[in-house]
Amino acid sequence: MRIEQDVTRGAAIEISVDGIALAAFDGETIATAMLSQGMAMFRRDARGRPRGLFCNMGTCGECMVTLTAENRRVRACVTDAQNGMDIATDG
Amino acid sequence: MAEHFDLAIVGGGPAGQAAAIALQGLDLSIAVIDEQAQPGGQILRQPPAQFAVRLWLPGRAYDRLKAQTEHFGRLDRVSWLGRHTVIEIARDGAHFALLTENALGVRAITADRVLIAAGCQDLAVPLAGWTLPGVYTAGAIQAFVKSQQYVPGERIVLAGTHPLQLLIAAQIVAAGGTVAEVLFAQPISAMFRAVLTKPLVGLRGSGNMLAAAAALRILRRAGVPVSFGSALQRIEGESRVTHVILASGRRIACDTVGLNYGFVPQSLLPRMMGAKVRPAGAAGGFAAVHDEWMRSSLPGLYVAGETTGVAGAPASQAEGELAGVGIGLDAGWIDMAEAGRQTRRARSRHRHLQAFARLLDTVANPLPWFPVPEDDTIICRCEDVDYATLAAQSGGGSANAVKLITRCGMGPCQGRNCEPSLLRMLDDRGLTSDPGFTQRFPARPIPVSELADPG
Repeated sequence: MRIEQDVTRGAAIEISVDGIALAAFDGETIATAMLSQGMAMFRRDARGRPRGLFCNMGTCGECMVTLTAENRRVRACVTDAQNGMDIATDG
Repeated sequence: MAEHFDLAIVGGGPAGQAAAIALQGLDLSIAVIDEQAQPGGQILRQPPAQFAVRLWLPGRAYDRLKAQTEHFGRLDRVSWLGRHTVIEIARDGAHFALLTENALGVRAITADRVLIAAGCQDLAVPLAGWTLPGVYTAGAIQAFVKSQQYVPGERIVLAGTHPLQLLIAAQIVAAGGTVAEVLFAQPISAMFRAVLTKPLVGLRGSGNMLAAAAALRILRRAGVPVSFGSALQRIEGESRVTHVILASGRRIACDTVGLNYGFVPQSLLPRMMGAKVRPAGAAGGFAAVHDEWMRSSLPGLYVAGETTGVAGAPASQAEGELAGVGIGLDAGWIDMAEAGRQTRRARSRHRHLQAFARLLDTVANPLPWFPVPEDDTIICRCEDVDYATLAAQSGGGSANAVKLITRCGMGPCQGRNCEPSLLRMLDDRGLTSDPGFTQRFPARPIPVSELADPG
């Protein structure tokens, strides 16, 4: 749930995660953009179980996603969403 | 060519800022490097620059930190390197060579001196179901609320042993979110007993006590139950959390869980460099060792704030001040008499704050209250190593030996999550005083391709 009261966000932007278009706001991290659309699974582990973000401070590495344009692995919690970004998870 | 600075400060929180402020007016180039876009640290994790938030983080404790952050922002000759992650620091002849990384690539800088003020992290506590989507550290939830202005869940359970979860619950409620329940594993009598052993220390920390009382009032008004002696046993769900089960068998429906059993120092960088550390306390982890001017055991390397032990933001500010003046002293920019004068008040504050921090450690002590993992409970989240696998191997020796056999601690988090759990298992088998995993480059996960050409 985005907090609405007393908050003005950045410009509306759009990113794509696993081919799904997500509406987000400038200043939001990739993690916030995903979670706010109900995308809580960032990958499946070796046993096929769904896994989510855990620490939200860059420490645990659970939220790693791929920026497809650069083929770069980044932590979704410390990477700002940019308009037009195309992202792939390991889900 | 690497950009050169007189001083590199890793971490722009209360300690790092205080160090830079202590050195103001001297003609020094300072780089302050932080993974977050804005200064403030986790305690003052600011909203993005693109956001405007009215009445952000009210309260006197936050006001002091906000004032410091504003002061920090006005400093000349401080280069703010936000959204930069330090992945390595190494001695390179007369100075230090640092590598940072972000979505744009790798950057090399050098500095004559380095201060590591990297803060702390939530202690990761394994229990059945804790790897399900929707289970976070309590700090993760709080950071979403403070900075991203986002409540990550419709119905949140907070569980653990640390009183901070009362404040986090109150912040969620104030933001319009729903907290299903706050669960303390320990009985309330144990918490009171701990305070009563040191009543004077408790009084000096009355600001924190009052904050906890105010949070309790907010929760009561919102009808949020706060339960003591209520230990979390399992977290259940399919694609994400749907409920938790307590040791008593009681079931609570929720879509989100925040775990709050305490905090451990972020000391990976000093450990990687070979600086001396000590066991940080009951919650686990290692704290960087320092002298009275916050010098680490390595020449030119300083440590301050919760990298040296978790004691709260005001104690971190005091340590940052000591470190800044200490760096000035060692470089000959400040003489001993002046250094002593400048830091008299910070030292006295620091002593009182440390005493309160030790009391809080006792109140929040998670050791008797950790959930018992099940055989297939994942302990090492990165490499999916479960409890039974570690239990079968942990009789045989050191954390490093268990790591080689099981891959526990080999993943991107470098053991930051699993190390305290594994060390407790070794401890239970009489293998005490294990120094933990040998910390290796890189300090944070990076693509291997980046290493070829740091620009």
